[in-house]
Amino acid sequence: MFNRRLIFKISGTLLWIEAAFMTLSLVMALYYGESDVKAFAASIVITALAGTGLRLLGRHATSALTRRDAYLLVTIVWVLFTAFGMLPFLIGGYIHGVTNAFFETMSGLTTTGATIIDKVEGLPHGVLFWRSLTQWIGGLGIVFFTIAIIPSFVGGSIKIFAAEATGPIKSKMHPRLTTTAKALWGVYLLLTVLCATGFFLFGMNPFDAVNYAMTITATGGFATHDASTGYFHTPAIDYTAIVFMFLSGVSFVMLYSALFKGKIKQLLKNTEFRLYSILALASTILIVYFLLRYNDYTLSHAIRIALFQVVSFLTTTGMFNEDAAQWHHITWVILSLCMFFGGCAGSTAGGFKCARGVIALKVLSNEIRHMLHPKALLPVKVNGSTVHSQGQITLMAFFLAYILLCFTAYFIMILAGVDSTNSITIALSCGSNVGPTLGLEIGPTMSWSILPAGVKWILSALMLMGRLEIFTVLVVFTPSFWKDH
Amino acid sequence: MKVIIIGAGAIGTHLADLFSKIKQDIVIIDDDEDKLERIQADYDLMTIHSSSSTPIQVLKDAGVKRADLFIAVTRDENLNLSLCVLAKGLGARQTVAKVENAEFLDPMVTHAFNTAGISSIIYPDNLAALDIINGLKLTWVRQRWEVHGGLLTLLDIKVSENCKILNQPFKDIFTHDSPYHVVAIKRGASTIIPSGGDMLRTGDYVYFMTTREFVPSLKHIMGKDDETEVKNVFIIGGGKTAVRVVNMLPQGMTAKIFENDTRRCEQLIDLVDTSRVMVINADGRSVANLMEENIKSAQAFIALTGNAEANILACITAKQLGVSKTIAMIENMDYMDIAGNVDIGTIINKQALTASHIYQLLLKGDVRNMRNLMTVNADVAEFTARPGSRITHKKVSDLNFPGEAELGGLVRDGKGMLVNGDTQISAGDTVVVFCHGTDIGQIEKYFI
Repeated sequence: MFNRRLIFKISGTLLWIEAAFMTLSLVMALYYGESDVKAFAASIVITALAGTGLRLLGRHATSALTRRDAYLLVTIVWVLFTAFGMLPFLIGGYIHGVTNAFFETMSGLTTTGATIIDKVEGLPHGVLFWRSLTQWIGGLGIVFFTIAIIPSFVGGSIKIFAAEATGPIKSKMHPRLTTTAKALWGVYLLLTVLCATGFFLFGMNPFDAVNYAMTITATGGFATHDASTGYFHTPAIDYTAIVFMFLSGVSFVMLYSALFKGKIKQLLKNTEFRLYSILALASTILIVYFLLRYNDYTLSHAIRIALFQVVSFLTTTGMFNEDAAQWHHITWVILSLCMFFGGCAGSTAGGFKCARGVIALKVLSNEIRHMLHPKALLPVKVNGSTVHSQGQITLMAFFLAYILLCFTAYFIMILAGVDSTNSITIALSCGSNVGPTLGLEIGPTMSWSILPAGVKWILSALMLMGRLEIFTVLVVFTPSFWKDH
Repeated sequence: MKVIIIGAGAIGTHLADLFSKIKQDIVIIDDDEDKLERIQADYDLMTIHSSSSTPIQVLKDAGVKRADLFIAVTRDENLNLSLCVLAKGLGARQTVAKVENAEFLDPMVTHAFNTAGISSIIYPDNLAALDIINGLKLTWVRQRWEVHGGLLTLLDIKVSENCKILNQPFKDIFTHDSPYHVVAIKRGASTIIPSGGDMLRTGDYVYFMTTREFVPSLKHIMGKDDETEVKNVFIIGGGKTAVRVVNMLPQGMTAKIFENDTRRCEQLIDLVDTSRVMVINADGRSVANLMEENIKSAQAFIALTGNAEANILACITAKQLGVSKTIAMIENMDYMDIAGNVDIGTIINKQALTASHIYQLLLKGDVRNMRNLMTVNADVAEFTARPGSRITHKKVSDLNFPGEAELGGLVRDGKGMLVNGDTQISAGDTVVVFCHGTDIGQIEKYFI
């Protein structure tokens, strides 16, 4: 009942694209002439061969794609991409064991940014670049990237787009999907280039500038230094990072119309954007207050680090310029709340999404008003259009699924003996694709290498679910998905 | 002058009534022979049955070539619009189409239709809503009519026991330069054009002409100081008029709409601003439902269901529950008088409003603004005096103006003032005339 050939064919094509990306890293490795050349060469050959094999299996595929195919395809593609993407780490021996390598790659592609590497500074440039690149590709979505460069790829199927997009997006920006994809990737590329230029001007070397720019616009969080952006101790770099993290957390469709069609007013009036900005502002003010009260910081320093940390957590980037473990624990709660909400739908950010937050908060306030006016019809309106009850139910189901998933992960981690504060923040961090964890055992600046292997596999799955908005993955594991009728 | 009316419904009938009074050539076209028969029996006009020939031939037979005014008021807005375009092409001078959708009021859309040959577009629900909103702004006034953006105002007020000038002859209380001018009194079924010996009695409806700055003191004189400002409005019946009303609601007012039909409620929440307007899926005629939504907090109650009887009864109920301002929409002219007698506040008749709005289009360009006041069977019109016209020759008291007409006030150099016997009207003045039972064309002669 599934269109197997088509799934093979598309997966094959995507592996070729992954091989092409690895080639970029190979070029980087050759340029620096480091030990990772062989690892990349071998990975490219394996990936390209596997891609060819899948293409052969997928000969004469028909282009009919059902809804089931779309969900299965997207899930398979992300797992395959991770499986082959970990090869450079494994072959070169930079990461030991399949568990660690798979976790690291998944963390990259899902733009989570949690790492199991204790010391990234010792790694060759090619490998560092590959880590950043996985995040950059994963930011807007693997399949979505391919739609932009190969127009005939999925025949303009909105199903795939919907399965991979971040947040509840239904409408296309342009009648043709591939044009939409090109416009959004254009915005993404522009942001990345501007960010890299900014970093370069403020004193980073070109290699660092490009790497940080890629992981920041992807709201990923992988760094080329153990101390992340804190390594530079430069306010200008911090503020550049803040601006681009914030922009990358805004819906790219809105950014596109604001940048290229001059609809800035529309952006400022948008309810989702308002919640996003209010969350950023309110959390910063609170944290600045607590920093001034409990730590001996000057106001300008407190604002700089608080704003950086809030935007980093809210956009689910996970970069840091200071060790938040030293802060009062109340700030952790605020940061966790930021992690939960995440950025805007249709951005590279993860989390529950502000678009859903707006609706959920309205449903809640309507429910209270309904107690007083039992016969009133109280609509949930977002930017002038009504969210009908089916939409509200879907949203609440998503909310429940999100909470249940996090709690399941929390439960298992406690069982595996992880510190309890760490457990809850790790679960949130993976579900929202943020990266750092807050807690007593593992600090926000530390790697996650000490976690047990089983937990790492569970977290890999959680990251994937978080990135693909739970239902896309979850539906594949339901019995009815595999039954014929 | 020749007038062609398409559609012999309520609006068409009102129009026939108004135009036949001023002795115009009227041709009315409809596809319902019964309606045509009835209308022909009552008024002096010609009827054409639309299926007697092909559509364009019918227009030609009606004499569209020499028509001064072509009015399309059938139920079908698309038919109205296309007939007007056709009529214009066939020679009609001015065309009016009735529509059923507020989108047509957008200036860009109106302009597009003007280019296509439609002179005016009329949306009855909009006219009704404008009237209702006016009523909400001044609760103690039953009807208000503004000249020159409010420089002069004609107010229809119900005389209550608290009125300070009850039972005193006008000659004792008003001097020549009083800032108020009583232009008409409706007592029972009769209309009085007052002279110095007349006086106000409880239960009268009095039409005052005044200038803007004296509206508050008139409120005091009429003993209406207790009337509160409207903050919350209850509306029963979620039809198109209700949507128009809540979308034009002045700042600071909130509304609750009661609508029985669940599916209509679901449409309503998309049509109104739900931050100010609450849609309630319940029968607004039920006292229990009104109490549950706390009707005590409402200062105005508007009944806009399709049923005139229900609207009148609902307004009476609301009055008893303590709502000071009530407005009922009725479609049957026969209820006009009864409704006035049972004290339900303002009455809105969409069809009559539309007809009187169209009626003024026939009058020459000098008539800026005209309105038919149904309750007193009178017209109020705004004329501009041309240089050398008869009205500018003498003082008002020497003019020998028809007895049924009253000069209410005038606007000169952007200032509103009242007219008395000593006033000398000069060219360029805009004069407000109140005329009862006379042909407005007779009055018009004084100004040209």
